Amino acid sequence: MSRRPPRGEYIETDTGNKVARKANLVGTQNIMLGGKTVIQPEAMIRGDLARSVQPSSSSGGAPASNTAVAIGRYCFLSRGCCLRPPGRLYKGAFTYMALRVGDHVFIGPGSVIQAASIGSHVHIGANVVIGELAIIKEYVKILDGTVVPANMVIPSFSIVAGQPARVIGELPEGGHEAFELRELYKTVGNNPQPAPS
Amino acid sequence: MSSSSSKRHSILPPTSTSGPKPPVQFSSSITIADSTVLTGSNPILISSESVLHPRSRIDSLAGRISIGRRCIIHERATLGSVGTSGRITERGVTLGDYVTVEVGASVEAGDTVVGEGTVVGVGAKIGAGAVIGRNCTITARSVIAAGEVLRDNTVVYSNGMRRVDRRGVAELRKKGQARQIGVLRMMIPSNPGKFQ
Amino acid sequence: MAPLTPYTYIQCPCSDASTLGRQADGDSPEDDDLDDRTFDPRAPRSNYSLYPLDYLNYCEDCQQIRCPRCVAEEIVTYFCPNCLFEVPSSNLKSEGNRCTRSCFQCPVCIGPLSVTSIESQPDPNLLAAPDGTPAPHSGPYILTCSYCNWSSTEIGIKFDKSNSIHAQLAKLNNGGTARLTAKDHKERRKEGSHGLAGPPAAPAPTAAGNGDDNEELDVETQFANLKSFYQSQLADSTAGSSGLAGLTDLGFSSPTSLSRIMSIYTGGTVHDRRAKARPGTMREALSSDEGLQIASLDESSAIRELHEAGYDGTISTEQSTNQPPHLGEVYLHGSSRFASSLRPIPYLLRTKRSKRCPVCRHIISKPEAKVATTRFRIKLVASAYIPTITIRPLNIPSSPIPGTLPPLQPSQFILTFQNPRFETIQVTLATPAKTPGRFASKVTVLCPQFEIDANTDVWDEALKDSSDKTKIRRRGAAGEDGTHQAEAGKIWERGRNWVSIVVEVVPASLRMDLLEATANPLKEDEDVLEIPMFVRVEWEVEAGGDEVGTAPGRDRETKERCELAYWCVLGFGRVSQA
Repeated sequence: MSRRPPRGEYIETDTGNKVARKANLVGTQNIMLGGKTVIQPEAMIRGDLARSVQPSSSSGGAPASNTAVAIGRYCFLSRGCCLRPPGRLYKGAFTYMALRVGDHVFIGPGSVIQAASIGSHVHIGANVVIGELAIIKEYVKILDGTVVPANMVIPSFSIVAGQPARVIGELPEGGHEAFELRELYKTVGNNPQPAPS
Repeated sequence: MSSSSSKRHSILPPTSTSGPKPPVQFSSSITIADSTVLTGSNPILISSESVLHPRSRIDSLAGRISIGRRCIIHERATLGSVGTSGRITERGVTLGDYVTVEVGASVEAGDTVVGEGTVVGVGAKIGAGAVIGRNCTITARSVIAAGEVLRDNTVVYSNGMRRVDRRGVAELRKKGQARQIGVLRMMIPSNPGKFQ
Repeated sequence: MAPLTPYTYIQCPCSDASTLGRQADGDSPEDDDLDDRTFDPRAPRSNYSLYPLDYLNYCEDCQQIRCPRCVAEEIVTYFCPNCLFEVPSSNLKSEGNRCTRSCFQCPVCIGPLSVTSIESQPDPNLLAAPDGTPAPHSGPYILTCSYCNWSSTEIGIKFDKSNSIHAQLAKLNNGGTARLTAKDHKERRKEGSHGLAGPPAAPAPTAAGNGDDNEELDVETQFANLKSFYQSQLADSTAGSSGLAGLTDLGFSSPTSLSRIMSIYTGGTVHDRRAKARPGTMREALSSDEGLQIASLDESSAIRELHEAGYDGTISTEQSTNQPPHLGEVYLHGSSRFASSLRPIPYLLRTKRSKRCPVCRHIISKPEAKVATTRFRIKLVASAYIPTITIRPLNIPSSPIPGTLPPLQPSQFILTFQNPRFETIQVTLATPAKTPGRFASKVTVLCPQFEIDANTDVWDEALKDSSDKTKIRRRGAAGEDGTHQAEAGKIWERGRNWVSIVVEVVPASLRMDLLEATANPLKEDEDVLEIPMFVRVEWEVEAGGDEVGTAPGRDRETKERCELAYWCVLGFGRVSQA
């Protein structure tokens, strides 16, 4: 599965994902990576917490379609962040729901994400906590240390900060390009390229 | 689209578990993930039906750790790290029943008590010797200073604001916790033998 | 102190009085007047005109920078930031600027509230309260905050249905009692006056009939009562003076009575005099039915509550200003000061807005109307027209405090200019030799004039990338020099559409004893080394122009020369105070 020399820091897959060997991925069969996504060391994804609609069904060996965490293209999961599916009581039974992440999503170091969905072009700073079943739309910037409460919806073009999170500003149109993570993708991996000046 | 690995069920690099295995006393009904880290020299007690997620960490170096019934210790939560005071006491951390310690939260050792039904939020920190009452909510990234005492039903939110939870839903919360544990027990492969 | 990341702010011309009248185009007069004055980034006015490049727009017709402060905005769409439903602007007039569905914010912590069924309430704190939709249980519903655990039971409010909470809440007082609307009051009063004081046509004397003079009215009812009282008073006086039909004629909405009221307020001097001649026709409200509210000076209940709840039970200014206008509240002494009376806050609507150039009225930014899309129909951003300037330290002497610049020692920085245009641009830079302000740092731009190649097509770049590395002319200017020293008049590095140059600064010492004795202490951020720089960009456009990289001055007849000049501020870092 690795075309690169096997002892690099990262495992590089055919679809261009760069997964650090020191990343903690639990339940990989339930984790979907869209390609060209970087997972840095000590990032954690809890794929084992998959949806269990009927509480009686065993989901330990659930089929592969039972995606718990789906991540799009060109996402960047920084060191020490943690993605886990949100849980909720649904019709009296506890179940985990899928966590869906769009493309070009940056997740800062030490952030814990339990959202229901994160749109494309989202920048999440360091040490952010995103509560369960929060919905983050496209083009959102979440500043360092923010605590997004459970069930919060953050509309597009918001800049969000605080505990609990509140919208503190609007993204200017000129700032949309900055969400592209193609260049950042190139700068990590087993043979990283220097950042363009 | 491809799953990062179709062969292996997880990529979990080994954790550095230096030092001796702490003496443990497990109830037979607990769920403890294989990659949980237990260190220290004092006893670790875990009561019935409690769940320890992968990569949760319990350190009994600074005192005995006891976890009540139906507690959930999430991944990367740390119980019993030696506080800034460096105090070593007989009882390090005592969690009541139905306590949830969320992802990345930390409860320092030193006669620290967390009352029944209390939730310690994501990334929150409980200082050494703090005594948290029953059914408290410590919201994400809140910090409780060492030695602080919180009355029952206190909610700590927004960088240290306090208020009283008047919902009176403690029993419902317990029910929800029990259901969550029911699901987690099926999802997390338990390996208590590794630690005994 | 956190180290400061270097920044570049650009001044929008809108705040500059000398450019206000200028419809910028290629042959505007050279900036003689501007040359004399150095832009001071610390001047109080500058606060309002400096923006990061991302925040600026650009008007193609005026060929000028436009900032958020000077553009004219027009609202394209209103929507609720929580349920993301679009709100028609017609609803806005009738329903106000808040979401009228079920979207509320916590009055304590402003977190989102979710609708939860009480009966089967699971764990609203952690385990994500169900949003009420699929719950098979019917039963009272409450609003709960998943962050601070506030719930509407704290103010005694429960709902029968899980949807249209806004409408239900409007009908409920704190404590759960149904609120009497003005209409209800009127009906009740009518019934009362029917029974006690004869025909409803004479509401004025019925005041005593309803008994309770000091009934506490909410805002809406008080207003309605006052309105009807004054209308009846007006009707009385005009009816008497104009000799129209008697007291029973209370058709206030009819055009005739409206015109009578108008005559009183406007040209009715004759009537006025007559009205004055008959004293007693106009009187003030006497009872709560007429909208009179007597100040209740007895604050013992508030004091008792303060004793019980303590400081924690009172609300902060922020919480009180966040409270939505509520027609059901008793307004007499302002709103309550206790947390026990805070009501949920319906979400304020958000907007999508288009922007127009303030000068030529052309649209410079227009988002798609639909809430869900993030596309723009028109998006003219400054970063597509003017070069981006990035600052990178090159050679900084060691400083006693890491991350700061040592005073009185030359530090060198690399400024990289990236050209977003498809034409080659000529850039001319100018900085004052010494920065304005109390601490004059010396600035030297080693290469104040250079040319940046065009931003070629992305595919060109990709193709070039595969054949030979993009940066073919990297270090073209100083490449022969092995040590690669910064040289005056020479470019540091050059790439496809970028050029970097070196700036040398000698930060001033911040020591107070070197200043005159009356000097004030160091102001906030006065230790940040900010350098004003005047940037002049020139380029040539021509409809049929085949080459654009000609030297300045040539082909003036055939090609249209454009220029753009603006001030920007370079923040290099903090100067060490040691």
